Amino acid sequence: AEVEETLKRIQAHKGVIATIVINAEGIPIRTTLDNSTTVQYAGLLHQLTMKARSTVRDIDPQNDLTFLRIRSKKHEIMVAPDKEYLLIVIQNPCE
Amino acid sequence: LQVFDDVGKDVTPRPLFRSDPNNVVPRQGKLLASSAYFGARGSGFLSSFSMHQTSGVNASLGSFSRSRLLTSYNFSDVQVRQQEIKEELTKADLDRRVDIYLTETETIWILDMPSVVVSVESEDAGRVLERNRIYVDICKNRPGNDRFVEKMMQTVNGAAKNKEVQCDKIIMEDKGMMVTSWDLYDSFNVSEIEPTSKAEGSRATTGKCSKSHTTKELDQTMSVSSDRGSTTSIMISESAILARNHKEEECHSEAILTSENFQQDLFFMERILMENIFQPKLAAYRQFPVLIDPDVTSDTSGTVAAVKAKQEEHNKEKKDKEEQKDAFIDPSTLSVLNKTPEEIVPPRLERLWSYVCDLTNGHSVSSMAWSKVNPDLLAVGYGAFDFKEQKKGLACCWSLKNPMWPERIFQCEHAVTALDFSMASPNLLAVGMYNGCVAIYNVRSCNDAALLDSSESSNKHTGPVWQLRWVEQDRDATEDGKKERLICISADGRITEWLIQKRLDCTDLMKIKRTESEKKKLPGEKERKSEALISQQAPGMCFDFHPKDTNFYLAGTEEGHIHQCSCSCNEQFLETYRGHKGPVYKVAWNPFSTDMFLSCSADWSIILWHRDSQTPILSFSSTTACVHDIMWSPKSAFIFAAANESRVEIWDLSVSTLNPVISCFASPRVKFTSVLFAENTDCLLVGDSQGEVSVFELQNLAAPNSNTV
Repeated sequence: AEVEETLKRIQAHKGVIATIVINAEGIPIRTTLDNSTTVQYAGLLHQLTMKARSTVRDIDPQNDLTFLRIRSKKHEIMVAPDKEYLLIVIQNPCE
Repeated sequence: LQVFDDVGKDVTPRPLFRSDPNNVVPRQGKLLASSAYFGARGSGFLSSFSMHQTSGVNASLGSFSRSRLLTSYNFSDVQVRQQEIKEELTKADLDRRVDIYLTETETIWILDMPSVVVSVESEDAGRVLERNRIYVDICKNRPGNDRFVEKMMQTVNGAAKNKEVQCDKIIMEDKGMMVTSWDLYDSFNVSEIEPTSKAEGSRATTGKCSKSHTTKELDQTMSVSSDRGSTTSIMISESAILARNHKEEECHSEAILTSENFQQDLFFMERILMENIFQPKLAAYRQFPVLIDPDVTSDTSGTVAAVKAKQEEHNKEKKDKEEQKDAFIDPSTLSVLNKTPEEIVPPRLERLWSYVCDLTNGHSVSSMAWSKVNPDLLAVGYGAFDFKEQKKGLACCWSLKNPMWPERIFQCEHAVTALDFSMASPNLLAVGMYNGCVAIYNVRSCNDAALLDSSESSNKHTGPVWQLRWVEQDRDATEDGKKERLICISADGRITEWLIQKRLDCTDLMKIKRTESEKKKLPGEKERKSEALISQQAPGMCFDFHPKDTNFYLAGTEEGHIHQCSCSCNEQFLETYRGHKGPVYKVAWNPFSTDMFLSCSADWSIILWHRDSQTPILSFSSTTACVHDIMWSPKSAFIFAAANESRVEIWDLSVSTLNPVISCFASPRVKFTSVLFAENTDCLLVGDSQGEVSVFELQNLAAPNSNTV
């Protein structure tokens, strides 16, 4: 319902290359990319998110990671982590 | 002694042996040993131990003998203490003071190694010395003496035999864990019942494993294989994961997609996307210097093209401006962000972005209002002005953070003609509609339904509500605090004040009566015979309360008159200003010099009045199009904005009273219908008939040096 609409709007944005939702085990639930790339992104970003979360919590265990953004030359990868899932959006912010 | 359990059954343990009175031979020596064992237990229990409890406590033969001896020793005592044994131990006995006698037992020799050192002063000293001497002599005589012979012997060597034993292979496993402080924190907080669960983790502090997230997967049983820190095993474990039941996943994925957290995350993600896209524009809105991403190489052509497009847009405006005091700037020297001080750059509007989405396309913007509390929250009402084009209306709340989709969408039955946010309870939005209905929405909830609706009210308006406002009223000195009232004006000629109780109800503040115009009589209005009028009342189009004294307000009517009225007197007007020849669409007091006000009307003109004079002071007209909306700038006393049908104009009275300072044209099919200044920044919002609310940044307007006319 509301979720579907928002997801569709995000996907339809200009500059958004891909939207991926993966569950806690690393399996993609929703994706707009082909399978192999999705799995690659899923695996790599999962590990990175875990590492980032571990870093944040090591410094203060009461803190937690809420959002992760990776800005590269070509795109920006935005990850919203949660205990049960991972929401990944890849955007090309300049065009 | 008898022992009963809770039910009352006799569970007295039966003794494992029966003491044989024939064997009663007191042996003092061994007795002492046993008494040493039992001595500390208290004399009162000795007998009971001997009879029953030893059977439970000591199951070995050795103790049996001891206990037997004890029995034999205590046999005589047993007779004496018979009464004590027969006493049943009750609960009270537990609390009873028991006397415990401690006696020291005889010393038990466990190991006795007498020393070989003898003191010189002891009695045996002489003998020992003598013996030592003899020994030394013997040692000296040893080498050549016959009495000492070295002889070798051969012993029998038994045959060696190999025996093999086989045992189970001891499987060794390496397990390494990386310990992190959050891990410890989590475990202590979550499982306080098992504080030892992390003991294994604390042992392995060498950090052999590279994947720290395995500690999180403790509930999954695959952690063993993934502890080897090599990439190949990661793949293996992942394939192992993939091979699990797929049925579980489907349920999980549905659950994930509909969870609240997911919705929130999507929400944030959208906001962040917007930020990425709109960052330069938003920065310009906030009047920060706009940063250009230095890493962007592939898209420089794109941005340059965008810059050029903006320049062209500006050039077009400038070419269309016939009247221009400043020099005509060569388009090639225009750079969007860097302005060299030598050039005199004329003030202009720069379009930042516009609030538009699929929903609002096609609806005409009728009114806009800022939230009183949050200056970035904008409410826009959509609805057509003409009678012919009526469709369902819409009221949307837009946030600065997401210019592509409104935060709240309220669908209304009829076209929305006016709206305003409340000051006292900033989550209330009052909406006035084309059918005269007034509805109040609660912006906090996403619910589409109105909180309160005036459709059931008996006093409701019968004509479109053209304007409504929440007004803070200073009451008498007796009532402290300002009360806030909702006031509307509508085409049925009434100015009403609405009370918010369980239902929305209103009382009339004023009825606008038709007044005769001094110059001419309008045909069709039979004013001579006052009873034959279709309606005594003139439709009101707009109103504005005086900024300093909220007792006075102005009301503009469809006839072209502007009436000044007071809240305390609702029969008569205080003053009437005549000057417009068409319906007055908007009146506005000057926020700084509060005796002047401005009015705009369909007769293509904007008139500046002074409150004490009945004739207009200044009149502005620039095109042959009716002026839909005007607004004074909140920053300067001289500047106001006007929305004609085809363009938006900014007038600066300190610069010129004949021509607008900035004039911005709309696309051909689009008409501008409303304007709104932003309070916290130099921006102007313009709504048009296509449903777009464009945000323009005012650039290079002369700063006000005095605020009074």
